[in-house]
Amino acid sequence: MSSAAISVDHLSKRFRLTHERNQSLKAALLRGGRHHYEEFWALSDVSFEIPEGSTFGIIGSNGSGKSTMLKVMASILRPDKGSITVNGSLSALLELGAGFHPELSGRDNVYLNGAILGLTRADIDARFDAIVGFAELEQFIDQPVKNYSSGMYVRLGFAVAINVEPEILLIDEVLSVGDQSFQQRCTEKIAELNSDGRTIVIVSHGMNRLREMCDTAIWLDRGALREQGNPIDVIDAYLLDAQSGGRDSARAELIDARRKADVSVEILDASHLPTDVVDYRGSGTIRVRFDATDLPASSIVALGVYRHDGVHVASFNTLGSIDFVAKDVVTVDYHVENWPLQAGKYDVSVALHDHTMVEVHYRADKAASFQVQASSAVAEHGLVALGGTWTDQTPESWGE
Amino acid sequence: MAGWSYNQRVQSIRTRVASKLPLELLWNLTLRELRGQYKNSSLGWAWSVMRPLIQIVVFMAVFSVFLKIEPSTGNPSGMNSYGFFLMVGLLPWGFHQIGVTAAARSLSGNSALIGKVFFPRWVLPTSTILALFFTFLIEMGVLLVAMALIKGHFALLWIPVLIPLILLQLVFVVGFGLLVSSVNLYLRDVEHFLGIAMQPWMYLTPILYPLNLVPNDRYILGISYRTLYQLNPMVSWIKAYRNILYDLRFPSPERWGALFIGSFLMLAVGAAVFRRLEPRFAEEV
Repeated sequence: MSSAAISVDHLSKRFRLTHERNQSLKAALLRGGRHHYEEFWALSDVSFEIPEGSTFGIIGSNGSGKSTMLKVMASILRPDKGSITVNGSLSALLELGAGFHPELSGRDNVYLNGAILGLTRADIDARFDAIVGFAELEQFIDQPVKNYSSGMYVRLGFAVAINVEPEILLIDEVLSVGDQSFQQRCTEKIAELNSDGRTIVIVSHGMNRLREMCDTAIWLDRGALREQGNPIDVIDAYLLDAQSGGRDSARAELIDARRKADVSVEILDASHLPTDVVDYRGSGTIRVRFDATDLPASSIVALGVYRHDGVHVASFNTLGSIDFVAKDVVTVDYHVENWPLQAGKYDVSVALHDHTMVEVHYRADKAASFQVQASSAVAEHGLVALGGTWTDQTPESWGE
Repeated sequence: MAGWSYNQRVQSIRTRVASKLPLELLWNLTLRELRGQYKNSSLGWAWSVMRPLIQIVVFMAVFSVFLKIEPSTGNPSGMNSYGFFLMVGLLPWGFHQIGVTAAARSLSGNSALIGKVFFPRWVLPTSTILALFFTFLIEMGVLLVAMALIKGHFALLWIPVLIPLILLQLVFVVGFGLLVSSVNLYLRDVEHFLGIAMQPWMYLTPILYPLNLVPNDRYILGISYRTLYQLNPMVSWIKAYRNILYDLRFPSPERWGALFIGSFLMLAVGAAVFRRLEPRFAEEV
């Protein structure tokens, strides 16, 4: 399943911004056929691949080109440069209930909306009960949709769109509609589609949801691809950027550089001496030292351990463990008695959050790295060494 | 555009959405128009018959009673009734006029749909026209029945000849609709222009008066008024409808040929322009 559901190749999309509404013959004649508009590249030279069966997140601030990207994927917009290849049927939830006719009943609108999304009448007949059930509108399905509340309207739209069951589903922010229980069902339905091997592409501002759902993410910044890869890293990088003044990247780098000097991460061996080698199943400590003068009280230190190839091994933080008061320099240790890691190279990332875990004061990837030394006795592979023991439980008589 | 030819795009859309014609969608959107049209009005569908009825009463009073315009006499039917003379021309004209003006707004009026959902765009103007075509068929049915009852007319027997003509006109109006709807997204003047232009166009078509009232012995640049007048394609349509329903005779083969070629030429031009402009629809709505 390594083939790409969508591959985006050096894609650029240009919009023409007209200063006045000059969509009139008079204006066109006065221009003498010349074009008077400003060009704006909503996407410039973006390349990435969305693996088949993945849940793929697209993040970025407003105006970064996320929605444009989805619309190009949905072939609503045409790229100006580059190309995009889509393998498989695709359905886009860019706006729920687009094309609903307010005067028509919910039933008629299900058929209408289904047809717009490419379903035949027989397809909709087969799905009708599931759609109405999902939307919980059994009582109201023969009412005109103009009498629906906005929640009912959107539920019906989502129920139709999700029951198209495309191979690739594009979702734009629409999860943030409906009440808590409906959102929960949407999330479950999406997870179900994903476990069927379908590809899900989500654009959202809900970082926690994306962190949970996605296995890959990209960050678009002013139409360009800024980061791609592990959603946790991409989201953290995005949040840090947003915290440190967002678009003013020069300033962000400056702050980053100043703060970097203030936080140190060290690996200590059993005798508390700095090292970069930890023995397999040996003891070791990660020590974080930083200047807390500028930080608010009850800040939280978070550490992440990643295998060298970027696989996330573990994360842990001081929430509920240490409640240190801000003073000049804070030192905290994270001690592990026997490191259950397989041999290899590992990186440690560090972040300082406020107590709500929302605001990131500081963050550094690969703040330190260490090596786990192979032991000749190890016969385990994978991410961690469980260190279990084998015993033979075969009944004695069996062998005779 | 570099690296992305139009054909490539069309190919990818075809494989992505559906390889067959979206007839279901066309039908559903047509139903949407039909069902939505007269919801919440107490007279409902009666309105679709009211409009031509009121027009006919007013035109009959003004042109037949006040201005004393004589209708042509049906040959060979011998029919001489201003009312039927008028209706046979007015109903096809009404379909043309309303079909084209409604189609012109069909894309600009569905911006939410175009900006948010991908589907073949041509179904929007086409379904708008189909819904009006349905009304037109009802009007024609009423006309045929009225002729049979009042005049003992044999127009009902001419239905097999009428059907191909009506279908040809549908092709013509759809072609026209594709053209104006797509251009209207780029230049909104089109819909305003059509609103104004339709009225003079109607008066320059022999609906309210017979063609022989247009002088054949007066000239502009050596061309007679009537020859110039007949450059208007609607003259041919009205003549063909009058041939069948008023005169009770076959339109000439030349007339059929001209209408056939004209309709499909209109469709080809409309479809070509529509396809050319379609890729940027979502940006222009």
